[in-house]
Amino acid sequence: MKGIRKFKIDTKELSGKEKVLFKKLILVAKLIAPLYLKQKNDKYPGANFYPYDATKEEIEKAAKKNPAILSPYTFVERDKTGKLIAIPYHLKFKKELKPVAELLVEAAKLSDNKNFSSYLKSQAHSLLNGNYGESEIIWLKAEPSKFGFVIGPIERYLDKFFFKKCAYQAWVGFLDEERTKEAEKFKNMILTGRRKILSGSEKAEILKLGIRIDRTVIFSGLIADFMFTGTNLPNDVKLMEKHGSKLTIFESSLELKFKEDHLPIFKAVFDKKFQKSYSKEDLYKGSLRCILLHEISHSLIRYRDAEERLENLFPVFDELYAYILGIKSCGTLFLKGAMNQKELEAILIMHICRNFTWWLDSIRNPSVKHYAVGAAIAQDFFLKEGAMKEKGGISWPNFTKLFICINELSRLLEYHLAVGSYEEAKEFVEEYSSFNVFKRFSSQLTKISKLK
Amino acid sequence: MVLCHHCCSICKNNSLRGLAKIIRSKTNPLTTGDFSKIMAEKKFYLTEQGLEKIKKEYQDLKNLKLAKTEGEIPKIWHSEDINPEYLSFREDLSFLETRIAELENILKNVELIKPPPKERQNIVNLGATVLIDIDGEIDEFRLVGTLDADPSNHKISNESPIGQALLGKRVGEMVIIKTPIVNHSCKITKIKYNKI
Repeated sequence: MKGIRKFKIDTKELSGKEKVLFKKLILVAKLIAPLYLKQKNDKYPGANFYPYDATKEEIEKAAKKNPAILSPYTFVERDKTGKLIAIPYHLKFKKELKPVAELLVEAAKLSDNKNFSSYLKSQAHSLLNGNYGESEIIWLKAEPSKFGFVIGPIERYLDKFFFKKCAYQAWVGFLDEERTKEAEKFKNMILTGRRKILSGSEKAEILKLGIRIDRTVIFSGLIADFMFTGTNLPNDVKLMEKHGSKLTIFESSLELKFKEDHLPIFKAVFDKKFQKSYSKEDLYKGSLRCILLHEISHSLIRYRDAEERLENLFPVFDELYAYILGIKSCGTLFLKGAMNQKELEAILIMHICRNFTWWLDSIRNPSVKHYAVGAAIAQDFFLKEGAMKEKGGISWPNFTKLFICINELSRLLEYHLAVGSYEEAKEFVEEYSSFNVFKRFSSQLTKISKLK
Repeated sequence: MVLCHHCCSICKNNSLRGLAKIIRSKTNPLTTGDFSKIMAEKKFYLTEQGLEKIKKEYQDLKNLKLAKTEGEIPKIWHSEDINPEYLSFREDLSFLETRIAELENILKNVELIKPPPKERQNIVNLGATVLIDIDGEIDEFRLVGTLDADPSNHKISNESPIGQALLGKRVGEMVIIKTPIVNHSCKITKIKYNKI
């Protein structure tokens, strides 16, 4: 089914009542996919959020008179006179959202966890009245519940005009307690230091960061399309500053991505002798830590004005810097003896494989192009500085040089996100983001299913 | 199945089956693989708190071993094959004995970390809480022995690359930390010795 991705997971640890609740949540999640599909349109930078003939300038001009035009939760349409008007999602999809809300209320009644139950009820209300902040606050304040469930218009990646409009998505899973405890410990190691802030920047301090690793059973909407392996929400900086943020790692999608992309890419683009030094387990752990570090770092790189300043280029810098800063902080963990050299190398290798994955994903799904652009910037640095040597599509990394590149790139990305202008960011992207850095490996990558 | 009725922290809620796995996880990161390395070391630097922890673990494991050997020991043979329960019993016992020997060695060679005399408190030594400026980040941690190390709680081993580089250095000094993969320099901005 379009806009939905299911994962096989073992639910034997759930009680009979919990299984009924779990199935109900899955049903709710499925209903959100059609709404996402009505928002998505790869042919236009504004997807289906804005009239196809409307220019950026026209929309900006209309938004000055009517700020709802650039609200994250409205469609922009033309009235009979041709004037741009804003239609809130909850009104546009009133009919479709009614059964979703009803099922959520039914699910709330099935939950023995009071917090989770009130969160579900609040989600039902928010979908119908368009006030999403309230349920987000309940979600942020609640202790980790057994079920991982999120629904609503959340991610802005489809809006390549302004990076404003949120696309619908939902996921359902349940907590992997053991892995979550490990991740919590890892997070505490990363967050021991305090980063210096560039003067003149509007750094947001996110004081609370919740963490959970879920065994996910279903992705619906944008998340199914993008196949995220982790996320850090909310996206609203003000909300984050006031109530903290929550990070979720999706084990099921990570395992699938590792099996279908990261590992085959590792086997395709790295020298055979080099490959022998790393077991599949080393690499999986590296991949898990890569995404964990990425999501933790998202909380460290929030600037109140960055989205306004960098507009549609914001996600390129935000996503790439979260990867780079995460890896950089591992260098300190290594120096502190919290990680051994092989573990650090596995993280670096998996970062490179993830870069290739984003490029391959962008061929199939242009919506994820901003990730691929960021990946190309990193790859370009690695190749130009000799941190990755390549001959005939086969490479051998130089870890010391890779770390030098990571530090240099980190410094540059920090500048752009903290204080840089749109023009500077644009110039940087144009200079370093050619996909040729991936294409030169094509002869090896044809073995991977997405390129067949 | 043999159950331990002694109230030690390790066996309180666990049957003896799979004991080896429990001991492995409880003693992490000090696994049997590290044993030879530990035996080769002369001194084990511990804080008072760390020493108490080691003493408690030692006593718990001794109690556990006693309970295990005093209880019903599975028969070696099951029909014509070796009884798997017996094999599991032997494996558990072997892990217990190895860990007990490790702990005995630690207790025999322990040296308590004490604050240095006042005139030497401007130098980084074991037990010092150090504030450093490392590559655009301000970090603070205490230097402890490997057995007390817990980076998630700001306790860093004296044997880690950063620990080795900082030992013996003074406030204001720039310290170079060199490893095969990551090289950094850091500046020591504060050294203090709290009650250890």
